[in-house]
Amino acid sequence: MAKTQEIVVVGCGRLGSLLASYLSNEGHNVVIVDAREAAFDQLSAEFSGFTVVGDATEMAILEQSRINRADCLLAVTDQDNINLMVAQVARTMFEVSTVIARVYDPTREAIYKEFGIDTISPTQLSADALLNILHQSPLVMP
Amino acid sequence: MGRYQAFLRQRYRAVGGYTGLVCLIAGIGILSPLLALIFYSEEWVLAGGFLVPGLLLSAFGWAAWRWLTPKTGRSLTLQEGSVIVVLSWLLVILVGTVPFIWISGLTFTQAVFESTSGWTTTGLSVVDVTQAPRLILLFRSITELYGGAGLAIITLSAIAGPSGSGLSSAEGRSEQLAPHVRRSAKLVLSIYSGYVAIGILALRIAGMDWFDAVNHAFAALSTGGFSTRPDSIGYWDSVPVEVVTWVLMLLGSFNFVLSYLILRGKWSSLWRDGQVRLQIVLIGGSAIVLWLGITGAIYGSVGKAFRVAVFEPISALTTTGFSTVGYGDWSGLGWLILILLMLVGGGAGSTAGGIKQMRIYILYRSLLWEIQRMLMPDRLVSEPRIWQTNNRRFISDEQVRQTALFVFLYLATYGVISLIMAGHGYSLDESLFETASAMSTVGLSVGVTAPDAPTTLLWTEIVAMFLGRLEFLTVLVGLIRLVRDIRPAISHD
Repeated sequence: MAKTQEIVVVGCGRLGSLLASYLSNEGHNVVIVDAREAAFDQLSAEFSGFTVVGDATEMAILEQSRINRADCLLAVTDQDNINLMVAQVARTMFEVSTVIARVYDPTREAIYKEFGIDTISPTQLSADALLNILHQSPLVMP
Repeated sequence: MGRYQAFLRQRYRAVGGYTGLVCLIAGIGILSPLLALIFYSEEWVLAGGFLVPGLLLSAFGWAAWRWLTPKTGRSLTLQEGSVIVVLSWLLVILVGTVPFIWISGLTFTQAVFESTSGWTTTGLSVVDVTQAPRLILLFRSITELYGGAGLAIITLSAIAGPSGSGLSSAEGRSEQLAPHVRRSAKLVLSIYSGYVAIGILALRIAGMDWFDAVNHAFAALSTGGFSTRPDSIGYWDSVPVEVVTWVLMLLGSFNFVLSYLILRGKWSSLWRDGQVRLQIVLIGGSAIVLWLGITGAIYGSVGKAFRVAVFEPISALTTTGFSTVGYGDWSGLGWLILILLMLVGGGAGSTAGGIKQMRIYILYRSLLWEIQRMLMPDRLVSEPRIWQTNNRRFISDEQVRQTALFVFLYLATYGVISLIMAGHGYSLDESLFETASAMSTVGLSVGVTAPDAPTTLLWTEIVAMFLGRLEFLTVLVGLIRLVRDIRPAISHD
């Protein structure tokens, strides 16, 4: 990601606020959306983008978040269904080139793949990491 | 050295570094009048008056920036931003006095006054413009040009500055044009420079010579109001010059976000915006009252009466401070209208000063809402909303509280400073007028501000201009933070 990108982050939780602050610090144009205004208190001082209060599953809120010119959308709310819906809308309606969603439930990842949405599953990642440690540990080695 | 002390020192290295960066940019600003030597080479003997302070400030700034700025932790909080803004503005104003003392032979107080008036885009003056060399006149306009854009904004857009919006918010520019502070600052500067270029051309076509056109374009768009003539815009007594100046002053007092949307063709945001509506009502209403009440009777021709009735309200509300006539023969009605307009001031996030139209509009809408709520059933749930550029905003109780407190602070300070003025023996109307003019960084004068005014009076106005430009709270927060941190940061135990 060399040049300045337009990025929409949906969900300002621990992950969303961290991502938005990093990306803003790197010089990208960041808009972050959350339904609760108080959520934006988690953003660090590096963040200098726009904040939009509202339900990201509404088209009007997404349009207000400058999704029309976004290069990238990150759906990172704590609800798999919301992430899926927002990501799908961004992909098909607004044709955002890069859409990444967080999914807790690994079984859903297949559906996302069909829609052309990249996914990160914390559950899957944790499982892989744990298994990795277990396999390297001499105690459990067969 | 305790942990807290180490932390404070590390933070103040960053503060020092970015203060240096602002000084570097401002130093280049002080050097820039020298470009005019290409056209007026006979004034080269005056060059030292700009070279020495400009180079010293730049060198100091560059050194502080290079050595102090930390490699990590480059973001600034609003409080740290406030300290930087206050420190750098004070330094820049101080260094800005050198050309006035060196070249024009002003006393220190007069020079500080002129410098503060310039950087804060006020336009009150103690320099005799008929005697002043061209370089000094241009320098005054350039300080207004810089001060209008805001030193922090120029710094943020020019070189890689701190990340985060602490610095620009501290200078009263929390509203952004783009979702990144640097991109936003760059956009503001492009719009501003575009306006200036068009303004210079338009004034030249309207009948000024190039030198006057440059100076007046700088002064009008920064809503500063320094003129190269004692009679200000009245010297030309020409319709085209006045009309062009109307437009430039209004553009200067427009919120930059609004300018940006209009330039991108979103005209609907113009008519919906609360500040624009308020501005239309205020200027239209004042012009009609002034015309019927004052100018119609004083100035013979209908044309002249109309022009004066439109020009002066625009100049007062945009906090520019150009004038086409003197106000000595106006009645109390005219003075009061101008005082009220000056207190209201321009748009939030513009180059103008004053309480700002946005705050007045928020309070007005909240008042309407309060009355409506009393007439409605108890259980009614409603939220007052306003159009701010193309966004619909809901007014929160917190916002109303902050706005009301700011207006209270503004008016209380206004009362105290008027009191000090009246204490110097000036009449009530003169004191109220001149105080409003200084605090809202307007620059209209009824004759109180003069080179031979008492020293204490000039210093009072200096404080008023400084507080007015940086919107009080930044100055308070910055100074208090600094004073509180100094002792723990340098103590040896």
